[in-house]
Amino acid sequence: MTMAAAPDLLVARNVCKTFFEPTRGEDVEALRDVTVAVRPHEFVSVIGPSGCGKSTFLRIVAGLDRPTAGEILVEGRPVVGPGADRGMVFQEYALLPWKTTRANVEFGLRLKGVPRGERARIAGRFIDLVGLTGFENRYPHHLSGGMRQRAAVARVLAVNPTVLLMDEPFAAVDAMTRQRLQEELAAIAAAERTTVLFVTHAIEEAVFLSDRVVVLSGRPGRIIADMTIALPRPRVWAALAQDAAFVDFRERLTRLIHTGGAPVGGHA
Amino acid sequence: MTVAAIPLRRLAATRLGWLADLLPFAVGVAVWQILSALEIWPRVLFPSPAEVFRAFVADIRSGVLPFNLGVSLRSLGIGFVVGAAIAVPLGYLMGLSRASRRFFDPLVNLLQAIPGLAWIPFAILWFGLGQGAVTFIIVMSVFFPVLHNLLTGIRMVQPVLIEAVQTLGAGRAAVIAHVIFPATLPNLMTGIRLGIAFGFRSLVGGEMIASTDGIGYAIFNAQQYFQSARIVVGMLAIGITWLVMDRVVLRPIEQRTTMRWGLMREGIERV
Repeated sequence: MTMAAAPDLLVARNVCKTFFEPTRGEDVEALRDVTVAVRPHEFVSVIGPSGCGKSTFLRIVAGLDRPTAGEILVEGRPVVGPGADRGMVFQEYALLPWKTTRANVEFGLRLKGVPRGERARIAGRFIDLVGLTGFENRYPHHLSGGMRQRAAVARVLAVNPTVLLMDEPFAAVDAMTRQRLQEELAAIAAAERTTVLFVTHAIEEAVFLSDRVVVLSGRPGRIIADMTIALPRPRVWAALAQDAAFVDFRERLTRLIHTGGAPVGGHA
Repeated sequence: MTVAAIPLRRLAATRLGWLADLLPFAVGVAVWQILSALEIWPRVLFPSPAEVFRAFVADIRSGVLPFNLGVSLRSLGIGFVVGAAIAVPLGYLMGLSRASRRFFDPLVNLLQAIPGLAWIPFAILWFGLGQGAVTFIIVMSVFFPVLHNLLTGIRMVQPVLIEAVQTLGAGRAAVIAHVIFPATLPNLMTGIRLGIAFGFRSLVGGEMIASTDGIGYAIFNAQQYFQSARIVVGMLAIGITWLVMDRVVLRPIEQRTTMRWGLMREGIERV
């Protein structure tokens, strides 16, 4: 058993991943013994230097990759593949180009067999929540990067996943849009009481959004810190950017990443 | 004023659009007319536009052209449908199953380089002289470009799209219906275009050798009688038929799908 008190919604237990790297012609150890527990309504970020395996970890949680050892439990049940209980938002948006905003957001509900009227109602609510009202009938290539990512978030939220997985979702949008999207996500996750597992290499972003930040070392990724971010909500950049506590969290995590792990890109 | 002005302007734009579409043909006919008026070559080797137009009208009046065109399009239609009906399911099967890919890929590669026309001798032996043999050759010509382009399309489907819908609860059937099929549509359309184009080539070649009807035969026959204007009539009939198919069927499909989705554009002007 891991943590005894709170009923963990998501547990990653001793997850290890080694995969064959064809360009190197050898096995690479990406993750070593990663154990994380996420409680209901918690916003947890995983950060670490590039190549530390944080995205691999998220993919294993999503069921898109299999761990070499260890297991993922969602509400006590082991993960054997991808499923609607772990909806994922990707850096590349991954909206279906042949579906309008509305059809993309309704898509998961359609797969679930939700009747048309109900589908439209739920999709409408989430399209409204992410601020895309008026863009329901646009195709993704007519939306800006930020709008596409809003649509992708609405698409996953509409299915009401047990855990929302996000893989560097704001890495491809411009800096100003990114801050707005971060504020919106923080507000939505708080309002919807969404449980989120968020992967990023941006330390500020992790601190801004999270209740807890898990730090992975350089390759192979091991957990070197698990920090609770005790900052009040709601969080907005205008207030937080200069906040002493915020800056303190950011500096501590920065030091951890630069000193705590094995050398970046190092190979065990 | 403004309310009336906008539709008028649009109408003008479409009329100008038609003129712009006709311009290349007008230029082509003008150059042709000038060349034939210069009489550099004997009439029988280089018929004038007027002669061709007269032959065209005569062949329509006599019913020869509509009959031959009908025969040819019937063979092309049947050949295309049969060829595509085998190639499309096989393409998705090979694209989605490693075992079938490993089995069929060597066979397909072996047969791919053999031109449809190389099947003429067997086509005649199996089906006798006539449109049956021609149709068989068209099947063989349509099959490979459709299959090859479809396979390329399947290989190019972005994995992230599949993964994204899987995390929304999509199973295999939903992935195929909502991701793989629409994602392969641009390449499938290219395959269909090439399939029809290859089909036309084999149609004409096949009819010249293996048939006594059809546009290809008519072109061949006109040459025997030095009716060079009728040769051009046959050639133009093929070109115009293709143009109509492209404008009436293929382009509207592309405009409603791949172009609307932003997967394909008319061209790249801003370079």
